[in-house]
Amino acid sequence: MFTNLTKLDLKDKKCMSDAGSPKLCMKALPGEGAERSCAYDGARVVLMPITDVAHLVHGPIACAGNSWDNRGARSSGSQLYRRGLTTDIMENDVIYGGEAKLKEAILEIAARHNPKAIFVYATCVSSLIGDDVDKICREAEAGLTIPVIAVNCPGFLGDKNIGNRIAGEVLFDRVIGTGVGSDEKIPLSINLIGEYNIAGDLWGVLPDLKNLGITLQTAITGDAKFDDLRSAHRASLNVLICSKSLTNLVRKMEIRYGIPFMEGSFYGIHDTSETLVNIAKALGDPDLVERTLVYVQKKEEETRKTIAEYKKLLENKQAILFTGGVKTWSMVSTLAELGINILAGGTQNSTPEDFQRMKELMDPSAQIIEDTSSAGFLKIIAEKKPDLIVAGGKTKYLAHKTRTPFLDINHGRKLPYAGYQGMVTFAESLTRTVLSPVWGLLKQEFPPKEGELDG
Amino acid sequence: MAKTRHYDGNPQKNSPALGATLAYLGVNGLLALLHGSQGCSSFIRLQLSRHYKEPIPLNSTALLEDTVIFGGWEHLKKGIAVAADKYKPQIIGVMSTGLTETFGDDMASALTSLRSERPDLVDLPVVLASTPDYIGSMQEGYQLTVEALLTTLAEHPANTLDQSYAEQAPSIALLPGCHLTPGDVEELKEIVMEFGFKPITIPDLSISLDGHAELEAAPVVQGGTLLEDFQRLPKCSACLSFGLSMEKAGDFLKQMYEIPHLNFPSITGLTASDAFVLALAKISGKPIPEKLLRQRSRLLDTLADYHDQLGGQKIAIALEMDLLYSLASCLVEVGSELTVALAASQAGIHRLSLPIPIEVGDLETFEERAVHSNLIIANSNGRQAAGLLKIPHLRAGLPVFDRVGYPQKRWIGYEGTQQFLFDMLNSLG
Repeated sequence: MFTNLTKLDLKDKKCMSDAGSPKLCMKALPGEGAERSCAYDGARVVLMPITDVAHLVHGPIACAGNSWDNRGARSSGSQLYRRGLTTDIMENDVIYGGEAKLKEAILEIAARHNPKAIFVYATCVSSLIGDDVDKICREAEAGLTIPVIAVNCPGFLGDKNIGNRIAGEVLFDRVIGTGVGSDEKIPLSINLIGEYNIAGDLWGVLPDLKNLGITLQTAITGDAKFDDLRSAHRASLNVLICSKSLTNLVRKMEIRYGIPFMEGSFYGIHDTSETLVNIAKALGDPDLVERTLVYVQKKEEETRKTIAEYKKLLENKQAILFTGGVKTWSMVSTLAELGINILAGGTQNSTPEDFQRMKELMDPSAQIIEDTSSAGFLKIIAEKKPDLIVAGGKTKYLAHKTRTPFLDINHGRKLPYAGYQGMVTFAESLTRTVLSPVWGLLKQEFPPKEGELDG
Repeated sequence: MAKTRHYDGNPQKNSPALGATLAYLGVNGLLALLHGSQGCSSFIRLQLSRHYKEPIPLNSTALLEDTVIFGGWEHLKKGIAVAADKYKPQIIGVMSTGLTETFGDDMASALTSLRSERPDLVDLPVVLASTPDYIGSMQEGYQLTVEALLTTLAEHPANTLDQSYAEQAPSIALLPGCHLTPGDVEELKEIVMEFGFKPITIPDLSISLDGHAELEAAPVVQGGTLLEDFQRLPKCSACLSFGLSMEKAGDFLKQMYEIPHLNFPSITGLTASDAFVLALAKISGKPIPEKLLRQRSRLLDTLADYHDQLGGQKIAIALEMDLLYSLASCLVEVGSELTVALAASQAGIHRLSLPIPIEVGDLETFEERAVHSNLIIANSNGRQAAGLLKIPHLRAGLPVFDRVGYPQKRWIGYEGTQQFLFDMLNSLG
């Protein structure tokens, strides 16, 4: 019923013992306050940005009710993916089972919302009460003209990362390669894997791809249309963005469809250029390579010129970097581009490999954040007294209590930071944060000590 | 019943465990420990954090696959012990989830067993709230947790009344429901203090989730009701509870300490505020303070000035029950017409009445039924409905994440009612 976890490319044992390394597939200690999330959340993050399908959560209200429409993944078309749909399992369903209700719900949603497909997410409670989500999806599908796809990923399976990978398996098994059209490869076309179009990140990269003559087949998944995903196997190259959480998917696509894959990142000037050049090389078109080399050089110069004034303002600032998602290592070079030193870095929810890469990129004197709980985070801020904190939104309001400038780089943000344009936006945002006059106001002693009033 | 479908579309419900978290967040020195998987606590932190713009301390027992087979009993024991050792909280507040309630973990026996193994933890108050995700909404979880806080802490052996304690002013116990914002709770306390009372507020979000800059570097609740406040409850001259959901908790105090208890389903609107103020005057034996009479007079003037606009509105409202009733009854009182009244859950549905039937429903139903309205009142998730219907949307309830300052809003009492009506009229654009 569940995906066999041993098949999910969890080959990271080497770095497991490293202090601060995310404990992938390892048990979090009850009560320690690790503040990670669950496998269901991980699957949801990967699949929710498929915009023209319905996402139905078969669980009690805690799974969908607290979380629907809460991520910044944007769509250029259908808004259906933002609709919160859940069977809202109630006490009676727990007692009598929720299968009949689930089947009705699938049929009703198909009729009411006209989706391209329906993804049905199993949860802890639906799994415990023994609802066979796979079977119900098959049965419902038989009466419909659209695919009904079970995502068997209850939260108790593990951390978010496990869920990312299970979502990859689902896409591979049930979506990719199921289109009715041609299976022929599209020349100079790529898939971006692990790009969720947070705040429109993807749209910051598309103009560069277009200028170079590279076609984006689909992002897996960001602003993704179901039919484009079905034809994802027609791309000539898979580009794994920033994270290895979908490595299992690209490996399988390589074996079945002969699509090679490479890793890349669109955060920061250096990484963006390197990724574009590597894509060109991997696509094997000498003309494209030449074009790209010229293009990236021009873009780099332009971008560096634009951000020069920000760099002057930010140079030699001391930062703490703490990411909860996919930007573990690419943010290191992005900050370096602006002349910012990293005092300490840490991560949650990334893979140990990503963590390792971040560690290699950071200055050896930078400290690794070992205790990733709120307590550990506060302790390291108190010790290091950084000029700024770059982290996920989860720690934002905690950081504000320390009266330290903070920039949210995860899914809660409003502005796109990917690509060359994203680098400019990032530099602007960071400058606005670091140089905001409010931090001075926050640090003024009040009431002032005696004698200071006369000044 | 509005709901004939087999699914919730754009649910307005939040989970009961989220309501439990909210109640715990109003108790100083408390560490909330969710007995469930890490996602349960992660979603709650995110949801509350985007509403309050505050860090939300919430720990979990981080259940994984093995607990599905063996149960989470041992994990709960371990979680309480680890949290107690690592964070040294004054109180631990546990809430259960759908996961743990489905496999039926007996939380009380886990606590007893832990205390026999760890005698040093015997004196640490541990509150256990049973809040399965599949029964009710935020309001129910909050209610059950306030009740658990009172029953546990009122009888806890560490909670012996300090006999030397002398009251400077007569105390009064206030039990605000989850429909009241931290700003509302502050207003509530101020009104009560006008009558010379010293309020003991349980839980007190007005000094924990009010968004102040001072914070110690400790991941437990800071601000909120003090543990000592629970010891002072027997000295209270009365208990006032707000929102029908708080009635049972108030009755508990009434029986426990033999003090009068009054429940106010709403304190928004002129009539509701009058009832509240008159009750305070009666209990205190004091005249109504000049300040409140002045506020009342200003509210009356506002009603006269804007009676025409207030009377012309067709309003669709979808909220958790106590807030739904409070705002809707105020609107009815000033002549607005209700078109739809959808509550998040059943609680109180047979006891609260409005000119139109209150039904239980989601925001997809709301969207279908609010077509001929000219204002919708719902939490921020109502934005999809407002956008599709092209109707102005006044944000209320939880979560409100796309408008600034909601947690500081005061929509209760005379002044708060006036502010609510101002906000309502201004939202019409």
